[in-house]
Amino acid sequence: MRILITSASHDRSAALADHLASHHEVRLTERAHVETEYEFVLSALGHDRSTNLLTRGIDAIIHTAEPLPGEDVSSQLDAATRGTYNLLMAAAEEGVRQVILLGTLDLMADYPAGYRVDETWRPLPQTQPPTLTKHMAEQVSREFAREGSLDVRVLRLGEASDATVADAVVDALAQPASLAAQHRSKEEGARDPWLITHVGERPQ
Amino acid sequence: MKVLILGGAAMLGPYVARELAPNNNLRNTDIKPPEEDLPGEFFLLDASDLDGVDAAAACMDAIVNLSVLRRDRKTAWDVSTRGCYNMMQAAVTHGIDRVINTGPHYTVAGRHITEILDFGIVPDIPPQPGTNLYALTKAMGLEICRVFTEHHDISVQHYLFYNFKAPAAIQPGERYAPYVISWENSAEAFTLGLDIDLDALPSRNEVFYVFADMPHGKFSNEKTKRILGFKPRKDVENLWK
Repeated sequence: MRILITSASHDRSAALADHLASHHEVRLTERAHVETEYEFVLSALGHDRSTNLLTRGIDAIIHTAEPLPGEDVSSQLDAATRGTYNLLMAAAEEGVRQVILLGTLDLMADYPAGYRVDETWRPLPQTQPPTLTKHMAEQVSREFAREGSLDVRVLRLGEASDATVADAVVDALAQPASLAAQHRSKEEGARDPWLITHVGERPQ
Repeated sequence: MKVLILGGAAMLGPYVARELAPNNNLRNTDIKPPEEDLPGEFFLLDASDLDGVDAAAACMDAIVNLSVLRRDRKTAWDVSTRGCYNMMQAAVTHGIDRVINTGPHYTVAGRHITEILDFGIVPDIPPQPGTNLYALTKAMGLEICRVFTEHHDISVQHYLFYNFKAPAAIQPGERYAPYVISWENSAEAFTLGLDIDLDALPSRNEVFYVFADMPHGKFSNEKTKRILGFKPRKDVENLWK
């Protein structure tokens, strides 16, 4: 499988690349140059042909939607919304089968301690990053799934090791994408194009 | 009341300014100069400029956001999404508790449900804009506003429109959208929104469909009439008569 991982400057993206590279072809991208042993494409995730080329030939995207170091709130919001939109629009146009969005379980931190909060509960973002930006990236991605143009898996990461996160990503990749969404059957066994999974412990 | 208007030089801006001017002090802003004189102050301002929006909101009692750029991806996200963040952040900073935001009808009811299948479409549904650029960027702006109202004592009224008409220009037999209002009638909603007791609103984040009474029943403006006291004019009926 050919996998594109965004936010290459982040440790989590690098750790995922290391984990996945033994069984997959990995391409990394970032909005600034990053030194890496893997294929790297510098991309601003803009509305232009370069974003289509970034996603061309890719089977799955792991979109981490992380800020650049020192980035102000407005730029973080721009990257999480417009950047995600451009990436997913290009992915849909290029026939990418699956998107895995790495979110945060911080979105559920405001529920009282001890509650058994699951993926069906409403997220409770703050008005600042990271919860606001992660929430907005989810919201943008959800509309692609709603329209059936992409299969989107959201992994909301809590307190979890890199190994646990990598296992969750591998599990998500192993699920056959229910692609050709326009032909998707609603009969038993058909998968929904939008699925959220909580990974690790919820911050409380 | 001292009112900051974002996007005041856009199409709806002059109508809103003329409607509000007799009873309010207006600070009009836009990224471009107005094509006609607007009552009140005017400043050039890009809604995506956080510092600029913050400065413009100083000493204001309310913010009306009419800004819209719908076609170019960069500016659409800048204005419709980041612009809402900037507006809400400025409202927090300056203690402004009344905001009126605007957008298209499909901010909440995307084209996949509004244009083909359904009738009696009300504004109080979970937003499902789809990936249409204009709808999605405005929906994300609405969501940012909602999140802010969960954490701050700010009430946001979202007025959603579809198609505006100048009644005198309506041609016999012309095609029309299933959700129409005259420019002047739409502006009247903003007076209601500035006057309403915020405690009379069901929540701090409320969505309203603002349009004329139309006989086909595609959309519902009942909530707007019931809560805001909106009075639809009968000035676009030549569209279907």
